[in-house]
Amino acid sequence: MAFPTIVGPSSGTGSGVFPTLVFVQGNEQRVINLDHSPFGVGRKVDKDLVIADPRVSRDHALIVSENGVFSVVDQGSKHGTFVNGERVERKTLERNDRLEFGVREVAYVIFNPQHGTTNSAREFLSQISGMHISDETTDLEKLVLFLEAARKLNTIGVLDEILMTLLDVTLKLTRAERAYVYMKNARGELRLAAGRNAKGEPLLDDKTISHSILEDALNSNSEFVLTDTSRSADLTGRKSIVAYDLRTVICVPLRKPQVQATRDAEAPAGAVSAEVMGALYVDSRFASRDISGVSNDILHAIATEAASLIENARLVQAEEAGRRYQQELSIAASIQQRLMAVTIPEVPFAKLAGRNLSCKEIGGDFFDAVNTNEGLTIVLADVSGKGVSAALLASTLQGMIYSQLTAGMPLTEIVTAVNRFFTDKNIGEKYATVIIARVQHDGNVEYVNCGHILPLVVSSGEIQRPAFGNLPVGLLPDATYKSDHCQLKPGDRLILVTDGVTEAENARGDFFEDSRLEQAAKTGTLEQIFTAISSFCGGTPLNDDCTVVELLYTG
Amino acid sequence: MSLKIDVRQAEGVTIISPQGRIVFGEEAAALRENLKRTLASTRQVVLNLAGVSYIDSGGLGTLVGVYSSARAGGADIKLTGLGQRLRDVLQITKLATVFEVYDNEQEAIATFHRGAA
Repeated sequence: MAFPTIVGPSSGTGSGVFPTLVFVQGNEQRVINLDHSPFGVGRKVDKDLVIADPRVSRDHALIVSENGVFSVVDQGSKHGTFVNGERVERKTLERNDRLEFGVREVAYVIFNPQHGTTNSAREFLSQISGMHISDETTDLEKLVLFLEAARKLNTIGVLDEILMTLLDVTLKLTRAERAYVYMKNARGELRLAAGRNAKGEPLLDDKTISHSILEDALNSNSEFVLTDTSRSADLTGRKSIVAYDLRTVICVPLRKPQVQATRDAEAPAGAVSAEVMGALYVDSRFASRDISGVSNDILHAIATEAASLIENARLVQAEEAGRRYQQELSIAASIQQRLMAVTIPEVPFAKLAGRNLSCKEIGGDFFDAVNTNEGLTIVLADVSGKGVSAALLASTLQGMIYSQLTAGMPLTEIVTAVNRFFTDKNIGEKYATVIIARVQHDGNVEYVNCGHILPLVVSSGEIQRPAFGNLPVGLLPDATYKSDHCQLKPGDRLILVTDGVTEAENARGDFFEDSRLEQAAKTGTLEQIFTAISSFCGGTPLNDDCTVVELLYTG
Repeated sequence: MSLKIDVRQAEGVTIISPQGRIVFGEEAAALRENLKRTLASTRQVVLNLAGVSYIDSGGLGTLVGVYSSARAGGADIKLTGLGQRLRDVLQITKLATVFEVYDNEQEAIATFHRGAA
């Protein structure tokens, strides 16, 4: 998934969406929801934010929330916790604060970042409408006013607000009766975008404007067209002017800012007309003020500033859409996390533990455990590919398997049913490797391995790899599945992993592989296996989810 | 995009040799496109994977997907040049029974000429 920016949503108004952390390490950026407190940061693999660097302490820091205020609290770490470059023990966090844990520059976290604010625009708008521009205000003062408006508005993105402001300011500067702004749509057709009269009321129809002058202005190369009908000799064809008694009409074509236009169209330098993206139309009738004396400087300023304002607004809107999409993904990721949360069943004859290390916010691995009369059944599955599509299928797969397990279905029937589902639904090249193992109280294990990494049985310090296997599910419609058995003695451990473990890479391009896995599993606990993986990888980020499930048979 | 695909003809059979990593995303898509195009004009393809350093679950899915649609259309893809790693993966996933794997290009081509299925 590639997006131009990865920035968390803005949510300072208690909208119910969690604040976010943006974690940056090397070329990787991840958005994490701060959806619970305390939120642990450290090198230990069970932390909410795991930073795999030796300079980060195992329990490095906590981010806590009290009455909606977030603070970072150092947990006695060796190399310290830093906020905006300053070492702290405990500090309340503000938007855009930069947090570093033990290491500087290499990896950092931005707290709840946000682009600009919309508040300044609204404040400014209210200032404008309350403002009085007297006849004595010089043209220069009016120009400065407009430029100030332009600059302030450049920081926010709401197109409609910008258009309204543009009309307000234009009306104030020209002291005209009505102002309309037209924008070209995707098909190049000119459409009315907004209208305003001098009283500040919105104008919704443009039937009484002079469309012919608007046309002329758009087709001309001029910066603006000003028609003073009292001086025009020939008004044939100017129906509206005659009919509605329009005295002065000013049209300002809005041309795409020259730099951008040149970049986009690769036009030769000095190209005469840049692309017209819309037009500003302003008029007044004979019965009202004479606006024909409006200075050219004002009109020039409007012509140039307005266009770049609007262009900016469009760019920011596109970025906003991207950010909203990212927010949707974050929410999907937290839903998935909840689905994946396994309540480990308690049985007298075994102890079960599972850990997952995700390489992205949303992933295709899942593990589940169900205790029924048939035994304690553990499932580990890995859907092919990555990202949203894999995660979607993983959740579906989990639902299917979980419900069939609680219904006491035989293992081979379960995987056959899943294979039917995937292949019937013709999802494309998606498939999953699955391993299901059902442990009885007497240590007998029935397992069905569908294309998955072979399980490990650690017995008296030796490693066995029960090898019976089948095709993955979802690849071939007529595949058949068979199970096999193995026997556990008290003290034996059954370990299941996904291929993210054996295919974890270090900087040299070596893989973790079965040999290192077996070595780590021989003597290590679940946590030690993960430590072995992160030590092996060093700073190299994971390119696939890692899941390890361990069942200790006590008998 | 870390995949380059060489295509050549030998004795009436098209030999496709990908070089690099076949992973989920651009690379798997590139291989899929290439094989689809090739299968539009020939029924006999040998896929030589000697230059492939790594293939992930997505890449494997693509391989199986293209193989299935080739067979459905009456064409055949034979594999060769499998390194130990890939052999292990095909072993674990039982795909070794689905694909026809040969030790070298000559043997694969020869089976086409013998008319063996």
